[in-house]
Amino acid sequence: MSSGSHHRYSAHRNLRGINFICHAPGAQSVSLVGDFNAWDPAAHPMQRSPGGGWLLHVELRHGHHRYAFLVDGHLTLDPQAQGVTRNDHNERVSLMSVS
Amino acid sequence: MVGAMKNVRPPARRATAKRARPKTPPQGAGRIHPVVVYPFQHPTDLVHVQELYRLVGQLAEAPETYARPITVMDRKTHHAMRQNRDFCRFREQVVAASSDLLEAWCVDTCQMWYCGLGAAFERGTDGDVYWLIPGDFNYGSPVGREVIGRLHDLPEICAELGQDLCIGEIATDHNNPKQLIDTYGTFALLYNWFPAEAQEIREYTERPRSEFFALRHEFLAELLHQRWFAYEQTVVALLHAIAGRKHISRFFVGQISDLPEGREGFSSAMQQVERTERVLKTLWRERHDQRPGWQDDYRRLEARSEQVRRAALGVLENLLP
Repeated sequence: MSSGSHHRYSAHRNLRGINFICHAPGAQSVSLVGDFNAWDPAAHPMQRSPGGGWLLHVELRHGHHRYAFLVDGHLTLDPQAQGVTRNDHNERVSLMSVS
Repeated sequence: MVGAMKNVRPPARRATAKRARPKTPPQGAGRIHPVVVYPFQHPTDLVHVQELYRLVGQLAEAPETYARPITVMDRKTHHAMRQNRDFCRFREQVVAASSDLLEAWCVDTCQMWYCGLGAAFERGTDGDVYWLIPGDFNYGSPVGREVIGRLHDLPEICAELGQDLCIGEIATDHNNPKQLIDTYGTFALLYNWFPAEAQEIREYTERPRSEFFALRHEFLAELLHQRWFAYEQTVVALLHAIAGRKHISRFFVGQISDLPEGREGFSSAMQQVERTERVLKTLWRERHDQRPGWQDDYRRLEARSEQVRRAALGVLENLLP
């Protein structure tokens, strides 16, 4: 996960672009799930890149978000995450701050 | 515990650096109570505490979000430095101007936490969050300034995500003395006395003795009304949180080191490992001494604990000066 373009001083100042990267070369499908999409596997499918990574750019509002990658249906922590916590199903998930 | 609160309002609003300004929590969230633990040894180079109190000044200027910060200062620090003009000036013009100064005679750092968190708790209410900020770190360094800019995430995570405890984790290399103590001492002893809880704690953090944390009013109420130890209280808080199925988070705050106080050598490591063992033993007994036959289990664990401690100290003696 890395921060992308800043929108802090634009009309969308409460949103910020975040680039998510999941390294899963053998996976058939990867999606991003989190509080921001109600943990819906279909909401944010990630795009496969040539190097085996899966990429996605998402605009998230300022604040703290719980999220994870769904790699072929398996909830997977982001090794680059800023933190770790649990979701409402008591599963370990990643934690990030958007500011 | 002897404490006295000094309520001195800031004489004027100071200019603040925008980069470290915390975010405004969501509407309807409780207030955040910052509790600063002043360094036991007043630093010779003021740059680190100056940077810290720049943050504290900002917090004091946002009363809609933050309760007035509290600074806990050990009276021994005050007595040792009372002839030092720079210290007295800093104490009056910066510390007491931006926070309520709580001076107390304290056995150890965790008692300073107890004083400060207890005083803040008495001002707080359900939904509030308490934010412990240790003073003895190198906040004046470039990485320290980055950390200062991230610390506010800890209480905000509690407030926004409904977490009971958020532990701040600092990055250290595997050979850092604190990391060595935790790897060979703290965790080894935890695995002996509280194996299930230890495994869960390690799923969250490699630094179960972190001095950076925030916690919610309801969880602090539980902690304050149980035995409070003079040291290794973060380990105790984690054990209570795991046992009580609390919501726990860990958040990376950066790469920072504490100011030199002679805590990096083997003698200090030995003291820290022995303290951890003492705390875990006491806690185990408190949890099990109503159970018939607990004494046999205790003796077995104690015998193994001695082996664990000896092994840990053997490793640490090999590696630390």
